[in-house]
Amino acid sequence: MTEYKMFEGCTIGNRIPFIEAASRKVFDKVGIETSQTNFSCCPDPTGMKSFDNDAWLAIGARNLCLAEAEGKDIISLCNGCTNTLRGVQHQLKHDSWKMDKVNKELAKIGKEYKGTIDIKHFVDVLSDNLDKVKGAITKPLDGLKVAVHPGCHYMRPAEWMESDDPMRPTTLKKLVEASGATVVDYGEEVLCCGSAVTNAYEEHGFANLKIKMDAIKKSGADVIVVNCPACYQQFDTRQRDLGKTYETEYDTPVMYITELYALAMGFTPDDIGLKFHRVRLKPVLEKLGL
Amino acid sequence: MTVDFEFRKQVMDYHIGSDLIKYCYQCSRCADNCPVTKVTTDFYTTTGYNPRSNILNALLGYKDAIFNADPLTIWGCTVCDTCDEVCPQNIELTEVFTFLKNQSIANGKGPDFIFSQARAIFESGKAIPPSKTGKDPIERRREQLGIPLVMQPDVSEFQTLLKNIGADKKLK
Repeated sequence: MTEYKMFEGCTIGNRIPFIEAASRKVFDKVGIETSQTNFSCCPDPTGMKSFDNDAWLAIGARNLCLAEAEGKDIISLCNGCTNTLRGVQHQLKHDSWKMDKVNKELAKIGKEYKGTIDIKHFVDVLSDNLDKVKGAITKPLDGLKVAVHPGCHYMRPAEWMESDDPMRPTTLKKLVEASGATVVDYGEEVLCCGSAVTNAYEEHGFANLKIKMDAIKKSGADVIVVNCPACYQQFDTRQRDLGKTYETEYDTPVMYITELYALAMGFTPDDIGLKFHRVRLKPVLEKLGL
Repeated sequence: MTVDFEFRKQVMDYHIGSDLIKYCYQCSRCADNCPVTKVTTDFYTTTGYNPRSNILNALLGYKDAIFNADPLTIWGCTVCDTCDEVCPQNIELTEVFTFLKNQSIANGKGPDFIFSQARAIFESGKAIPPSKTGKDPIERRREQLGIPLVMQPDVSEFQTLLKNIGADKKLK
């Protein structure tokens, strides 16, 4: 199988590395090979891109150059990084003026962007290897009720994200079903987690998060499954404050799809550092008899 | 209201390879589907975040209505790209909003987290840098979890990039 350059991203790499640990274990089981290189921040499609699009393009293109130098595609663990790297590729391939400008800057650090590699979200790579994923599952998560949240930047804009559907994505749902768990519909699957607006306007971010969390609570889901670290952080770290603000209890556990898979593939909660989650996973683990 | 023709031209040019923005007929599907509009506006108010008004004001060159208004006008956008998908005219609204945000930053205005993230990237290459003093607790945790340390980028490389582009001058 092809080897990918691993793009774990700033949030997973430097804040919540237990998600990377679970992902690497699952990749090993499925036979997805990765190697590292000196990537910088992707940079953030909600932060740095808003700061200066030209700077965002140049830093993103530099990252692409590193993978191009080895002739390998990138596998990203994060919606934001995937969106940035694919977005940079899109802007450069469709705007020759920007391409010339960026390459003029890259030449000063001895690099040139050519556009020869592809950037994959890990969810799509897992989906392409669904048979191998199913083959590696030894402890199906029967009876676990899951609310899926694929996250905006996994599927939008459709023009450069090319997921199965920008408004009704099914990939994450199918991956969860492959683990033996049951997906529950809650009606707000494609609603944004609100991470970016919460950073600027907490009250508006919380009002949005409340809509999302109320729908999830009503659905009776045991756990929210995500494939983006920004969404993960939004749900895992902000539910408590949300509860304080609205005087309601919000305590639905949050898991990365690779954490869910790691359990279904026989790893223990300690193997993948589940104790580092803010919202306690005890009810989920009890239900699974772990 | 003053019309700024230069600003208007910049907005038109921003759209990759098309002049689609001209064909906005203010149908309001963007605002109807915007999660932030939903929590900041009701039917009877004209305040709050509104992507439809932003496109109209940008298209008409009403610079003041965008930059000399409540910062929520620009920074309420949560970059979910929903408006891009529902627009019947295929306007890349979020890209236009990126341009508005970039202009605002160039004038020194924007939320703190945008400036602090840009500074962190400039100094360390990462939006979330490892700690500089002693053994980083995250590095220790990565070792405990049995995963390799994150490889660090050559900071001088993209500092050169950012300085040549002039992005360093916008840092706070």
